[in-house]
Amino acid sequence: MSTILRATGITKNYAIGKQQIPVLRGVDLSIKAGEKVALLGTSGAGKSTLLHLLGLLDAPTSGTIEYDGREVQSLPVGERARLRHQQVGFVFQFYHLIPELTALQNVLLARMMDTSVLQYWGKRKQAKASAVEMLQHVGLGERLHHRPTELSGGERQRVAIARALIAEPKIVLADEPTGNLDSATAKEVVDLMFTIQQERQLAFLLVTHDEGLATRCDRIIRMKDGYVVDQDLTSDEQAR
Amino acid sequence: MYRLFLAIRYLLTRPINLLGMGGIAIGVWALVVVVSLFSGFLQVIEDHVQASRSDIVATELPAWAEWPALRDALQHDPNVAGMAPRLLHYGLLVEPGKRPPPAPLPGRSAMHGGDQPFLFVFGVQADLEAKATKFDSWIRHPDIPEAMRVRDLTDPLAPIKNTPTVLLGIDRMRREGLKPGDSLRLMTANLKRDRDGRMTPIEIDVELIVGGAYQTNHGGFDGNNVFVDLATLQQAIFPDAPNQVQEIAIRVNDPTQLEATAGRLHREVQRTLEKEGRGYGSVQTWREKNSLFIKNVAHQRELLKIVLTVIMIVAAFLMLATLSMMVTEKTADIGILTAMGGTPSGVTMVFLSCGLVITGVGVVIGLTTGVVTAVYLEEIRQSWLWATGHDLFPLSVYNLTRVPCRIEPLWLLQVTGMAMVTGLIVSVLPALRAARHDPLISLRGV
Ligand SMILES: Nc1ncnc2c1ncn2[C@@H]1O[C@H](COP(=O)(O)OP(=O)(O)OP(=O)(O)O)[C@@H](O)[C@H]1O
Ligand SMILES: [Mg+2]
Repeated sequence: MSTILRATGITKNYAIGKQQIPVLRGVDLSIKAGEKVALLGTSGAGKSTLLHLLGLLDAPTSGTIEYDGREVQSLPVGERARLRHQQVGFVFQFYHLIPELTALQNVLLARMMDTSVLQYWGKRKQAKASAVEMLQHVGLGERLHHRPTELSGGERQRVAIARALIAEPKIVLADEPTGNLDSATAKEVVDLMFTIQQERQLAFLLVTHDEGLATRCDRIIRMKDGYVVDQDLTSDEQAR
Repeated sequence: MYRLFLAIRYLLTRPINLLGMGGIAIGVWALVVVVSLFSGFLQVIEDHVQASRSDIVATELPAWAEWPALRDALQHDPNVAGMAPRLLHYGLLVEPGKRPPPAPLPGRSAMHGGDQPFLFVFGVQADLEAKATKFDSWIRHPDIPEAMRVRDLTDPLAPIKNTPTVLLGIDRMRREGLKPGDSLRLMTANLKRDRDGRMTPIEIDVELIVGGAYQTNHGGFDGNNVFVDLATLQQAIFPDAPNQVQEIAIRVNDPTQLEATAGRLHREVQRTLEKEGRGYGSVQTWREKNSLFIKNVAHQRELLKIVLTVIMIVAAFLMLATLSMMVTEKTADIGILTAMGGTPSGVTMVFLSCGLVITGVGVVIGLTTGVVTAVYLEEIRQSWLWATGHDLFPLSVYNLTRVPCRIEPLWLLQVTGMAMVTGLIVSVLPALRAARHDPLISLRGV
């Protein structure tokens, strides 16, 4: 399978006053199409920071990030935004839904990001249909017109998943998506994510503190203090 | 697309933004209504002033100005259609056995319809006057009832029972209870230079009979000017100078050439009245002659524009406040927009669109209600009068039949432009603040 995302020698320093604080100290990783990867590590290891860099939300201090073999870390802002829209879907621990919008509108919004008013008007019916379908797929067919405040945590995260997937990205970057959910709900959400991952052959990079969840992935990457300490197959695969 | 969509959603969930929108709408409304009213009023005043004046007038003529000489000098001009000599004096018209009315309060302007007891007396030749002004239609005005009309319309200033006649504005006649045939005395004075060169006042007292009424539509003119025969006034004030002329009313063939004609006539008058190397007299168009008055109203309109713009500024501050609040509230959304593929400029546009939608809707509401109000001002005045008994705009003072209104498309455009620019300026600041907000801050935090 082809590598869709490759990071080489990533470092990231944050400047606090005059001091440079190194957060990532040279991270290499690559993710193949359709692969599920878990990213584990102690708090403060730099997992979220790495995810933001891989998702082109921020630029690394040094190192390269390649999407489909193309270096992207120093592209102009607009280019990176387009790539982010086309390639990456984000799911966060705190859902980050827009409170003014209904579930359906939150999902539709992600669909509107790169179209002009006129373009969108032309395919608005189609866009709406696919957003409804997406929400039905995540089990929220009955909650289309609920605001985030009218949804439970698990439901919110499902909306966030629908939103991350509506623009048909190739890779989903999820930062502790179940960190705020009870274990039963977390399992449902994870099952849902993995089902869709299977269906669409998405690449998945999942930051988590849950070892159990990590073992359900194809591969586990462990981080500590800005380094990748272990990049290995899951124990199941090793056993084979 | 998401920019507009999100902007509208943000606005719909925040009714407080209606404040700014309402402010803009009220500002635009006021600017449209008041300025249209004033423009209409200005137009009416110009029309009225023009109706009561000749196209061009030669004034400030010196003591040696004589009608035959000036007539011969000016009548060759190709654009001169008619000319009339005038003498101008002032005085009190008193009914025998009655006191003259008291002087009005100072500052009450004759031009705004407040009639003065002191009158301007025009000495005119009726036949020539009719060729230079609308004199004929003034005495035939349909508002003058039969009983008040001049008896012989072909010779309106003919003496009655050997007594010279005087024509008064219809309103003044009504107010003072005068009718044709009543006796009046013109009481005035003139300065005369005696042998030692000293000026001494000489009392003048002319017996007159009311000949009839006239009406020009310009209330300020009608209330303060009366007409007598030129010869009558000449004998009273210039007994030794039968050809004396103080003013010449001139009508032109082609009104588009007014300024140029006035210029030519001015030079001709100056040349004719030259004395010791210096020209005398002045020629003005009706607009120049009344420029102070017309400018005054125009100036009031400009002042009102400035005053009303303040409403817009207040509305702008309201918008600035509500938009700033909204940006502060919505910083959390900036992270997620960026994660979904938004750019800082896109985020700017979301908040800029909010401001522009507020302004745009406010302008549309203000413009439509403003234009509708302006068009139906008369109906609004009547309903108000009917409902409260209070007349918002007493028409009779200005000799109007309805509240004037003139909607100028250019002004509507200017107001729209002004409002949009104001809205843009106050939206840019919060929008830029939103764009500078680091999206990662909200993505990391709760
Ligand atoms: N804007 C910033 N300025 C300075 N330091 C920062 C900034 N953002 C993150 N850091 C530091 O970078 C380090 C890594 O942060 P990061 O959020 O990536 O950790 P993490 O592995 O995701 O931890 P957690 O599991 O708790 O989410 C932390 O020590 C944090 O203090
Ligand atoms: Mg983290």
